[in-house]
Amino acid sequence: MSIAIDRTRAGSSGGGGADSVRRFLRSQRFARAASYVFLLILWWLASMYEDRFPAPLETFQFLWIEVTGGSHGGIVRGEFIEHFASTLPRFGLGIAISLVLGIAVGVLIGGSKLAEALFKDTLLVLVALPAIIWAFLTQMWFGLGDDAVVITTFLSAFPFVSVNVVQGIQAIPRELRRMSGAFHVSRMRRLRHMQIPAITGYIFAGFRFAVIIGWNAVLLAEWFSSSEGVGWRSRYWYDANRYRGFVAWVVLFIGFIVALDRLVLVRLQRRAFRWRDAQLSTIEREAEEIDVGVKGA
Amino acid sequence: MATLTVDHLRKTFPAIERGSSPTTAIDDLSFTIEGHVFVSVVGPSGCGKSTLLNILSGIETSSSGAATVSEGERPARLGYVFQDPRLLPWRTVMQNMLYVIDETGSTARERATTYLELVGLGDADGKFPAQLSGGMQQRVGIARAFAVEPDLLLMDEPFSHLDAITARSLREQLQDIWAKTQKTVLFVTHDVAEAVQLSDRIIVLAPGGRLYADVEVDLPRPRKASDTQVATMQAELLGRFETMQAEVEAAKASSIAS
Repeated sequence: MSIAIDRTRAGSSGGGGADSVRRFLRSQRFARAASYVFLLILWWLASMYEDRFPAPLETFQFLWIEVTGGSHGGIVRGEFIEHFASTLPRFGLGIAISLVLGIAVGVLIGGSKLAEALFKDTLLVLVALPAIIWAFLTQMWFGLGDDAVVITTFLSAFPFVSVNVVQGIQAIPRELRRMSGAFHVSRMRRLRHMQIPAITGYIFAGFRFAVIIGWNAVLLAEWFSSSEGVGWRSRYWYDANRYRGFVAWVVLFIGFIVALDRLVLVRLQRRAFRWRDAQLSTIEREAEEIDVGVKGA
Repeated sequence: MATLTVDHLRKTFPAIERGSSPTTAIDDLSFTIEGHVFVSVVGPSGCGKSTLLNILSGIETSSSGAATVSEGERPARLGYVFQDPRLLPWRTVMQNMLYVIDETGSTARERATTYLELVGLGDADGKFPAQLSGGMQQRVGIARAFAVEPDLLLMDEPFSHLDAITARSLREQLQDIWAKTQKTVLFVTHDVAEAVQLSDRIIVLAPGGRLYADVEVDLPRPRKASDTQVATMQAELLGRFETMQAEVEAAKASSIAS
């Protein structure tokens, strides 16, 4: 730590320009950008080696037309909005159900030894089941349409929320549970003010997993049981032997989940942990401690 | 004003491992507390102080005998102050107060504010516990216990985790609040000096949970630790306390010898 500070000082006394470049090269932002560039280079090398694997540039050209519209070889394009518009409600509904039921089941299992003995192993089996199993099963049960897609998303995402919630409930300090018991706090209040906030971190960890797993599941389900949506569109180009189109939709699919994670989930998480960040402002606390001490003496 | 009756109370914990004998935490303990009094239970560690509180609060059951708290015909309402503040870290001071108050809406809010002001934290209602010092957190814990308007207030060594100076100022504040609120208090501590300063009556327990002495403290209030009368009584009681421990040691030694 002190070495780093010394070096910065030495650098700034020498030449400011070289120093700021060095600092930029070491920054997290640069590291993140570099990782994307590295992936693009890998992709480009892979496409040179294997003809059927489309190169980045042609893929992005294809993607651009797919997003903005136009026609290509007689096929009308620009269906980006349409397909996302049919996928997102299914995805959202599946995730919402898995969040609500996942928390409910997690609280139940975490709060009772009996419920844990009854359901915990089942939950672990559900975690282990790959989404593709549900995609096949729901296609058999419900046929083409929204139901199969929503239910696959829900079944794949839900156990991840639950497992995390169970851990969170079990990690609530015994002192707080006893305090609530001693004051005869109602179950509803305990849930709202003790259990849910105590497990926020665990819910977020589970929710983040659920979103990623659910996004996989929704695409798989659409691949088999839908005639519209992001998954169906990927399959459409795959079946048409247009690998460029297939890869373009995979890029869209990955881009969406990365953006969702970075822009939405990380921000929500920060908001939910305000109480913990309050702990960091210790200067104020120390000042008040001195204040109390003076009064007491 | 509540009536606390402890009647031939006994609590035995089963042997932890095969071959060892069961431990007696409370042994045939009887006393009654009535009215607006501040009663301390004092004893060395392992004399069943915490067990007594746990039985009163319903966390543990007695092996035989009974401990009941009543308020006329209805069961009494209890308030608790613990060794540590036990606040919900993710809720503000005000939300922590509302958490335990039965009422809702503005009634609850007014009551919470009243008791926060009583402990001198009227303006800390929007803060999170982590933003307060240990002493302030414990004051919130005290305000919370008073805010349920209990018939009997149980306090379990509430100042033992604080530094000496903070603890001293809180002891004086507690006397003040107690005088204003007219509650029945059962205060558990291992600190004889603290008990003398705060109490009207001190129940001394011997190791093994037997009643050793029941002492009236008839000194004028408010009391400071530095008052001569308080200091004299502290010294006197501390002497008896040490005699008791010596007797226990002697009994132990003679039982080993025989």
